[in-house]
Amino acid sequence: MTDQLSALTTIFTEFYYWITVVLMFLIHVGFCMYEVGASRYKHHQHTLMKNTMLIPLVTVTWFLFGWWIYWAFPTGPGFAPSIMNESAALITDESTFSAKWYVPTSDIMAVNLGDHISGVFWAAFLLFSWTAASIVSGAVIERITTFAFGILAIAIGSVFWTIDAAWGWHFDGWMLKILGYHDAYASGVIHAVAGGFALGILAVLGPRIGKFSSSGEPRNIGPRNPWLVAVGLFLIYTGFWGFYAACNIPIFDLGPEYGMEGVTYWTATNIYVTPTTLSGITFNFLMSLSGGLLAGYLISKGDPFWTYSSGLAGIICASAGNDLYHPIQAMIIAMIGVVVAYKMHYWVERKFKIDDAVGAVAVHGYAGFAGLVICGFVLNGYPSSGYSVGSMWVGTDYAPINPLGMFIGALIMFVVLGFIPGWIIAKVLHGMGKLRIPREVEIAGLDYDMLEASKDDEKAVSSATR
Amino acid sequence: MAVTNWVDHLSAKEVAGAIYPGVGTEGILVLIGFVLWIGWHVLQSMQENDKMSSLARKRHGPNAHKSNITDW
Repeated sequence: MTDQLSALTTIFTEFYYWITVVLMFLIHVGFCMYEVGASRYKHHQHTLMKNTMLIPLVTVTWFLFGWWIYWAFPTGPGFAPSIMNESAALITDESTFSAKWYVPTSDIMAVNLGDHISGVFWAAFLLFSWTAASIVSGAVIERITTFAFGILAIAIGSVFWTIDAAWGWHFDGWMLKILGYHDAYASGVIHAVAGGFALGILAVLGPRIGKFSSSGEPRNIGPRNPWLVAVGLFLIYTGFWGFYAACNIPIFDLGPEYGMEGVTYWTATNIYVTPTTLSGITFNFLMSLSGGLLAGYLISKGDPFWTYSSGLAGIICASAGNDLYHPIQAMIIAMIGVVVAYKMHYWVERKFKIDDAVGAVAVHGYAGFAGLVICGFVLNGYPSSGYSVGSMWVGTDYAPINPLGMFIGALIMFVVLGFIPGWIIAKVLHGMGKLRIPREVEIAGLDYDMLEASKDDEKAVSSATR
Repeated sequence: MAVTNWVDHLSAKEVAGAIYPGVGTEGILVLIGFVLWIGWHVLQSMQENDKMSSLARKRHGPNAHKSNITDW
């Protein structure tokens, strides 16, 4: 950097993403508190460790191959040609945004004076990866092995969500071009996919002992510590706010980017490089949070667990179009998402005997799915990209946002990249005898030995005289 | 190459961006990263298997843990 303006812009952008990463760390703190609060005393410490260990596992694999997948897969491969090199193959050539630069051996995947953005952008996406894995973690508590969860966390956090992000979030993604897919703050690319993945695992893993009576009636288990759950969800809200900022590009000149001769237009953009404002999405974040809380309180008759979760479900449902919605639209969409999530949760639980311990499939999966479908109607006709507007199915330019494309997109997220991989990997782990903890351990409690050792320590210390 | 003098480094005709020790050995470092990652799973799985089978053999009841709740 040799001129002051480009240095300021670059270092501002670097600092902006760095701040969002720190804020998003709170999502994980919140998920850990929430999950431990929802688990029973005899499983607390293992529950905490399971969620915590996804941090290093997803981070290391995100460095080794997850980040490369995001940059390599926007074309499918084979669905639609890239606007960078006009090829529908994996993007591994010399293009500016090629995956070639993001192999783990690349010298910009390290301290490099010539690159101020890769690390913070890598980290912002990594924090999204942790979130995807953490969503799954809550659903499967108290009966999954840490080994199996580690494998599943890597699968969703460093493989399947990053494929869907390449397809439906990358500015060159084939789903934008062919379907007119639009998902500015990840109703689908994080929440629906993680919810679907969790549901696929739950279908194989089975319910916790005692969750269903012998006649099949579901019983309520938890939350054990409502205060931990409440603080956890407040922290998730806070981190989610940082996530919204992380999904934007803070300062960008769209004139030359779109090839508009003589036009200079500096703005913030969403992930698709279409204009929005940090101010506008702040309206919508808070109004959708409010819509979720209002609806959740009513539908659950004031149940704190569901009311807090509904605040989250509300934001998730409105997130697909929160770069463009009016705040009242965001609030109404959030309310619809909460009703869908709540009703679907109990219907699926009763009908299919699915034990989703924290309502993760509902809050993230069903609300995210509904948010994508609603976005297709409300933003019908808006361009999915600023580069070149076309029509559906063509693939050489960008289809506008439309209800059919968004519905197909929702199915790709929830079912194709979520439920099916989750189910298959869980089946394989189950076949290896590695998925579920032994029945005797589930009954005694995962922490039994730790508790016993702690009691022995206490006895020894309290009887000591020196 | 390791940096030994910042003035020389930054006034070079072409400033080398990569400034970590061992530039050029990235392939070996990544290989070590893969081994450490996979190795962790192997060791964790062995530890977990041992812990689970030992606890399962004891067949504690659902409320047995309550006698181990500490006061400190």
